[in-house]
Amino acid sequence: MIQATDIETELLTFLRRDIFAPDVNLTPETDLVGAGFDSMSLVKTLLHVEQKFGKWIPEGEITGDALANTRALAATVARILNEQ
Amino acid sequence: MNLIELLENSARRWPHKTAFVEEPAGISYAELMEKIQGLAEKFSALQFPPGSRIGLCFGNGVNYVALTYALWKNNFVVVPVPTECPPEEMNEIATAMELSAFVSPKPIGTGEALMPDIFVTRLKLEKPADNHGLNIAFIRFTSGTTNARKGVVLTHETIRDRVLAANKGFKILENDTVIWCLPMVHHFLITIVLYLNVGATVVLARHVTAKPFIEATIKHQGTVLYAAPFHFSLLARDNSGAQLDSVRLAVSTTCSLPQDVATQFHKRFGKPLLPALGIIELGLVALNTEDSLNRWNSVGKPVPDLQVKILSPDENGVGEVAVQGPGICDAYAAPFQPRENILRDGWFVTGDLGRFDADGFLFLLSRKTAVINLAGRKVFPEEIEAILDKHPSIKESRVFGRVHPHLGEVVEAEIVLNAPEASIENLSHYCREHLASYKIPTRFHTVATLPRTAVTGKLIRTAATT
Repeated sequence: MIQATDIETELLTFLRRDIFAPDVNLTPETDLVGAGFDSMSLVKTLLHVEQKFGKWIPEGEITGDALANTRALAATVARILNEQ
Repeated sequence: MNLIELLENSARRWPHKTAFVEEPAGISYAELMEKIQGLAEKFSALQFPPGSRIGLCFGNGVNYVALTYALWKNNFVVVPVPTECPPEEMNEIATAMELSAFVSPKPIGTGEALMPDIFVTRLKLEKPADNHGLNIAFIRFTSGTTNARKGVVLTHETIRDRVLAANKGFKILENDTVIWCLPMVHHFLITIVLYLNVGATVVLARHVTAKPFIEATIKHQGTVLYAAPFHFSLLARDNSGAQLDSVRLAVSTTCSLPQDVATQFHKRFGKPLLPALGIIELGLVALNTEDSLNRWNSVGKPVPDLQVKILSPDENGVGEVAVQGPGICDAYAAPFQPRENILRDGWFVTGDLGRFDADGFLFLLSRKTAVINLAGRKVFPEEIEAILDKHPSIKESRVFGRVHPHLGEVVEAEIVLNAPEASIENLSHYCREHLASYKIPTRFHTVATLPRTAVTGKLIRTAATT
């Protein structure tokens, strides 16, 4: 069972390092799309999750709600990773 | 001629028609011309000589389009520069393409403001770029090692010919509305220029998830979708039940279409995805309008004005694909090589292996031109290899595309270490400093040797592997 909080930490590290410009102060509550998260960001994030956790998150699961912020995204990723 | 004339014609014919929708606003053809005129005057005041090459480093938007045409109006050469480029890459492009300036939404160093959201950064050139007497409109920078050809050169006339030829395949008309999500910095000529030439409307979609894209298509009654397999994969997995009834043409471009994406999209929306073959040096070569359901892995028949033949076919009819017709690039920029030196007996040899079936459908079997396409962004292996090879622990590298079931292709690298104990712990960090993030390999494979040809020792490149 992977905890959503662990995924949140992992995603925050990844997003700060690989996706957002250094001047973006990304917190778990920051609106991702508002901060500039685009479709290429989504590609890179899904690839990172696949590489790190060994499972592709189906794109259809990534709704507007899942991209509300990093916390919501981590919850979606955790739910799918924990599905059998 | 100048491509601005094509847009001026459109603006005369359809002044009040919407050219672009960039939510929440739209801009008509007449308003777009006015914007271009204003920008062109500002560029003119900067007094760059005609033929100067300008790096355009902008994200998608009406500004990108208006700036391109304003530069053309001044007879400048547009060189698109991806916005994600780190400084080292921008310097490489500036030097190799002999740029006089960058135009960008934020100042680069000592950039001067052309408008509050448009900056021009002048670059020092030892001597003006030599355009070899060509009426150049556009140079697509393609990176490579020192031996490789850099920069695909296109004149105004060639782009016009290419656009006209491509539309004999697409058949896009003034009543079409295109829902657009690809980066303009990678896709512009047989798309945006073509749409504006026929008086179509382009809706700039913010395509992070399927929902806003589908909503934009329904709201604006989109008739044409032109995107990478990744985008169609996102749409195919949407479970809202919403339909895309207005769409008449959904073209999958940039890399080979995975079968499950083709099948799922058809199942979800009841519409076929049409695979297309576009090549930087040629424009649109083929489009599968006739049988994409059964022959989803064929790029279809060549567009009417182009001839395609298979060179020295083997017993299965497989050989190198060669193309003849309007719209072939005019030159490579650095080192300069005119078209006549690029063609072989009047044919452009693509380097791709392919065959025709009995009905004349073209199938590509491997790609020698190893451009990798990650969700619409072009990645040149040689460019990444040049960076990897400079890493102190790496002796040599080979970058390739791996087929990904959802993305089409992803970037991976094989590396040969200088010594077995050499450390590559900081490799990801090193790549991030030197490469735009989409170019960074997803995986690194350490290998003992790289495959090379027996005679010349050239690195063997293959199609995206599975």
